[in-house]
Amino acid sequence: MQILIYGLINSMLLVLMAVGFALAYSVSRVPNFMHGALYVLTGYLAWVFLNRIGLGYAPAVLLAIAVVTFIGWVVYRVAVIRVRGMPVSEIIVTFAISLAVLEFVRWLGLRGATYVLPAFYIKTITLAGVPVDFQRIAAVIVAVAIVLVLWVFTHYTKIGLGLRGIAQNERAALMLGIDSDRAATLALSLGSALAAVAAITIIPMGNINVAAGYDVLIYAIAVCICGGLGSWTGTILAAFIIGFAQTAVVYLVAPHLSVVVSLAAIILILIFKPSGLFGRQKELEERV
Amino acid sequence: MKRLLVLAIALVFALLCGQGLQAKPIIIGAATDTEILDGFATVRGLKLAVEEINAAGGVKVGAEKRPFQVETMDTRDCDAGVPVSEALLVVEKVILDKGADFIIGPSRSEAALAALSLVSKYKKVYLSTCGGLSPKFHSTIAENYDKYKYAFRITGESGYMAQEAVDMLTAVNAKYGFNRMFIIVQDVAFARAGGDAVAEKLKAKGWEILGSQRYPSGATDFSAGLLKAKETRAQILFIMGDMPELSILVNQWNDLKIPALPFGNYMGPAMEPKFWEVTKGRAAYTVVNLVNAGNAPSNATPWTMKFYKAYQKKYGSEPEGYGTASGYMAPYVLKDAIERTGSLDSDRLVDALEKTSLMGVYGRIKFDPKSHQIIPSLDPEQGAVGTIFQWQDGKRVVVYPPKIAMDQLKFPPWMLDYWKIKK
Repeated sequence: MQILIYGLINSMLLVLMAVGFALAYSVSRVPNFMHGALYVLTGYLAWVFLNRIGLGYAPAVLLAIAVVTFIGWVVYRVAVIRVRGMPVSEIIVTFAISLAVLEFVRWLGLRGATYVLPAFYIKTITLAGVPVDFQRIAAVIVAVAIVLVLWVFTHYTKIGLGLRGIAQNERAALMLGIDSDRAATLALSLGSALAAVAAITIIPMGNINVAAGYDVLIYAIAVCICGGLGSWTGTILAAFIIGFAQTAVVYLVAPHLSVVVSLAAIILILIFKPSGLFGRQKELEERV
Repeated sequence: MKRLLVLAIALVFALLCGQGLQAKPIIIGAATDTEILDGFATVRGLKLAVEEINAAGGVKVGAEKRPFQVETMDTRDCDAGVPVSEALLVVEKVILDKGADFIIGPSRSEAALAALSLVSKYKKVYLSTCGGLSPKFHSTIAENYDKYKYAFRITGESGYMAQEAVDMLTAVNAKYGFNRMFIIVQDVAFARAGGDAVAEKLKAKGWEILGSQRYPSGATDFSAGLLKAKETRAQILFIMGDMPELSILVNQWNDLKIPALPFGNYMGPAMEPKFWEVTKGRAAYTVVNLVNAGNAPSNATPWTMKFYKAYQKKYGSEPEGYGTASGYMAPYVLKDAIERTGSLDSDRLVDALEKTSLMGVYGRIKFDPKSHQIIPSLDPEQGAVGTIFQWQDGKRVVVYPPKIAMDQLKFPPWMLDYWKIKK
C-alpha cells in the first residue's frame, strides 16, 4: 500500500514538473531548457515577495507566477523567435538563459536551506494506514486540476483549439489563419506559468535551491521523451511509469538507485521506440 | 574656493602619505567554496578575527607591526559540475595573483587533498578551516611529512566525529537502554563512510543496526526510509549528509511521528541557525554534530561566548555552519606563530605552529606534530572540543560533550509514549 500511495504521489509530482515542458514543446516545438531555472526563479521570487517586500501569501505567489509567465513571453519574443526551427540553437538559447538565471539567483545569495515557501497546510493524513503529509496530497490535487483545466482549455476554448491545431499540423493551422508565432509565444508563457505553479506546490515540501533547477529539467525531459515529445497522453502515462518505478525501486531495492530509473527509461525508450510511447515524430521512420 | 582647493590637495596628500606609510599587509588567501554555508561562514569568521587583530594594532613581525588582509576567491569545489582541477586553479590564482602568504583551502575533501601538493609547491602555510573532513587529509600529511608539512587542519574530522557519536550514543544506551539504530545517509563518500564507521563501532558495542539506506542528492521523499525505521522499531535515526533536502527528512520525520531520535552526525541544513524557522519548529529534538564548540552557544572557554556575541553583532546572525569558529581562530593561530618566530618564513612557521598551545574559542588549540591535525579532547583545557547540540524550543542547545553541555538530551512526546520513557 505504501508503494501504491507514494507511487501515485511521485507520479503526480512528475506530472507537475513535466506538464509545462510538454505544453511548450507540443505547440511551439521549442524544447524549453530553461524550464527548471524558471521553477527555481519562481520559488526565489515568491520568497522575496513574501519575506523581503512583505506581501501576503496569495499576492506574493500570484505575482511570482505572473513574473515568470512574462519572462516566458519575453524570452520567446526576444530570443527564441530568432532561432525558431533550429532545434540545436533553440536548446542552446534556452539553456544559456537557464544558466544565467540560476547563476543570477545564486549570486543574489540563494544558498543553504533557509529559503523555503510556506506549506498550504501542515497536517498528516492517514490513507489506508499509510501516513502522508498534506502538502503531498495537495500536490496530487493540483496536478489533477491542472490536467483537467488544460484538457478543457485545449478542447473547448478557441485559443486552446488553435494551440492544438498548431501542435497537430502547423502549416494547415497557418492556412486557417492561426498565427504560429503568437501560439508559440502563448505556449511558452503557459509552459513557464505551469513551471511556476509546480514550484509553488512542490517547494514547500523542502526548500529553494539552485540544484533543483537541473533536477526538475532532467525529470521533465525524461517524462516527455518517454511519453513521446508533444504527446499529452504519453506525458501522463510516462509520469506514472517512471513515478511508480522510482517508488518501487526506493521501497524494494535501494533509494539511491532511484535516480537511475528516469535515465534508464530514456535509454530504453531511445533504443526500442525513439519517438516515445505516444510520440509521432519519427513514427514513420520507426515503422520503415 | 581657494580654501576648498587647499583642503582637497591636503586630503589627497594625506591619503597618499598614509598609503605610503602603512605597513605591507599579510595576505590570507581564502580560496574556498563560498557558495556553501560552511565556506561562506568560515570567511565571515576569518574576516571578523582579522578586523579584531588589525584594530588591536596588527601582527608583530619582528620589529614591525603589519595588518592582516583577507583575499577571498570562490573555488566552488562543492558544486557537482566543478572538477577539482578548477578549484586548484583558484588556489593557485590566490597565491600568484593576490600574493597570498597563507591559504585557507577548499571545502570538499577531494579538492582539499589535491591542494596539499599545490601549497607544498609554493611553500605556503595552509590552514584547513572547513570541509575536508576526511581522515585522509591528516593521514596523507603524516605519511609524507616532508612534502606536505605546510598543511594544518584547525577543525575536527570525520573519524573523531564518529567517535563522538559513538560515545554519546553509548551514554544514551546506558541511560535509556536504546540500542537499535537505523541509518539514512546521502549517497556521497563522506556520508557513506561516516555511516559505516559509526555502525561498525556501535555493532561492536552490541547495538542492532536495523538497516541502512542511501538517498541520492536532491531526494525529496524520505518516507520509505522513515517508515522502514518505524517498522523495524529503531530508536535512533542516524543521518549524515550535506544536501539542503535533509530538511524534508526532518519535516517528514515529525509529520509521520517516527519514534526514533534523529541524530545528524553531519547534517548541513540542520546546523543553520534558521533551521527551526525553516521547518516551522518541526526540527524540535533533532540532534546535530556541529564539529567545533563556539558554533553554538556554550561556555567551553571564556572566549567562546565573546566570539559568539561579536559574530552576532557584526553579521546579525548566530555563527552559521561548522567552519565559523575555526575560520575565526585561524588568524589568531597564525598571529601567535608569526609573533613567536618574528618572521613569515614558511619553514620556521611550520615549526612554530607545531608548538602552538593557544586557548581559543573551542578549547586549547594544539596540533599533532606529525599529522598536523588539531588535537581533540572532551576537556577544553586539554584540546579542541566538539559540539553536539539538540534543537530545543527554537534554540541550538549543546548536549555533548558533558563538560560544555548546556542541557540534557530530550525526546519528542510521541517517543516518550512509544518507548515509555519517564520525563
